[in-house]
Amino acid sequence: MINLHGYGPRLLEGALITVELAVLSLALAIVLGLITASAKMSRSRTAHAIGTLYTTIIRGVPDLVLMMLLFFGGQIGINAITDQFYAHFGWDIFINVNEFVAGVATIGLIFGAYMGETFRGAFLAVENGQIEAGRAYGMGPWLVFRRIRFPQMMRHAIPGLSNNWMVLLKTTALVSVIGLSDMVRVAAEASKATREPFTFMLIVAAVYLLIASVSEWAFARLQKRYDVGFEEVK
Amino acid sequence: MAETPIPLEVRNITKRFGDTDVLKGLSLEARKGDVITLIGASGSGKSTFLRCMNLLEQPDAGELFVHGEAIRFKETKHGREPADWNQVVRMRARLSMVFQNFNLWAHMTLLENIIEAPVHVLGKPKKEAIEQAHSLLERVGLTERANAYPAQMSGGQQQRGAIARALAMDPDVMLFDEPTSALDPELVGDVLRVMRGLADEGRTMILVTHEMAFARDVSSEVIYLHQGVIEESGPPKAVFDNPRSERLKQFLAPKH
Repeated sequence: MINLHGYGPRLLEGALITVELAVLSLALAIVLGLITASAKMSRSRTAHAIGTLYTTIIRGVPDLVLMMLLFFGGQIGINAITDQFYAHFGWDIFINVNEFVAGVATIGLIFGAYMGETFRGAFLAVENGQIEAGRAYGMGPWLVFRRIRFPQMMRHAIPGLSNNWMVLLKTTALVSVIGLSDMVRVAAEASKATREPFTFMLIVAAVYLLIASVSEWAFARLQKRYDVGFEEVK
Repeated sequence: MAETPIPLEVRNITKRFGDTDVLKGLSLEARKGDVITLIGASGSGKSTFLRCMNLLEQPDAGELFVHGEAIRFKETKHGREPADWNQVVRMRARLSMVFQNFNLWAHMTLLENIIEAPVHVLGKPKKEAIEQAHSLLERVGLTERANAYPAQMSGGQQQRGAIARALAMDPDVMLFDEPTSALDPELVGDVLRVMRGLADEGRTMILVTHEMAFARDVSSEVIYLHQGVIEESGPPKAVFDNPRSERLKQFLAPKH
């Protein structure tokens, strides 16, 4: 039996943090991705420019640099704002950037840019006649989005979405640098203390692999669900 | 008795794509029970004209009235647009369109296609919409295909399904945009039979078609378009048997 030297419960907690972090970041990335895709397909030049700026910056700067920039830089920015409140209104507010929130915000922001590209391509793949039929039957833009564009787009988005998710999952390991006790950080501490890095890192690798396998299965099911009506050949 | 408002009236519609004037001031009045057929060579503007009637294309100028209510427009930097999209949505729900390429929603079964707009646009209770859908499916001869997806159906079945979808809105005016042009010849008959039934029961219809025999049989009015202008119009007998315009004569002449 593997001896965890009492690190078992903490590792489990760390794994839970990793999963929570990944899932919440994914949710944020999907929302940002949908907004970015809409902005980039919009007729408004301003919206298009903002969308392009966002994806260009995010995709051009290393994740680790962005994370430190947002975590430490974000704290300085928030402090500057609260200082202003103190100077002008006498309100003494102190907001401490929580590592977990910062982690979700950063990973969500990074992957929102990638999701944006995935969704944009997927939206463009929806046949225009499908959307036109919705409009011709009195559907407003939101109803067309909810009932036609989104469900038809998803079929094209899932391969990219699943790929982004796998990368996102592994990117969560970076949060250990901002002091969040995710699975990787706990394992690193345990390795140092017990001098058994192999044991702990192997466990970490196995847990990531397990999450990835479950996700693959889930995405395959999702793909099947959104392929309904399309897989048949005439 | 008060005069009933005209279901659909358009006046002086113009449309330009780039440097080309596609529609040069077209007007049309669809009274209740009218079957108006638009004919003309490809590029004459007939489909664009039809698509301006439910604002899938935005006319550059001209007026639209649905049951006497004028659609309001405003000028934007992208050209003229409806001032109130809610009004357009309301207006579109009273017209329904049958497309050349059917455009049944691919991710829904035929039954789901038919109840979609009645439930989500008109707010009809789902149970009621399903009952209505079944009777419409029976009418177009597709009772057994209720749970099929469009990709599993032949073109003719899809188009009859699309007509059922249009009828489910209980529209005041039905717009048909070359409904048989994408069909194999042997499937055209079934679709025309369904459309003839609609004309016979007094549905108000505006259709763009290349089926001249059909146009002659069912229309109350035929409009011949040439390069975005109404070259000739009138009752089918006059238009087909005694064309005045040289161009129409040529257009109707048997092709070898």
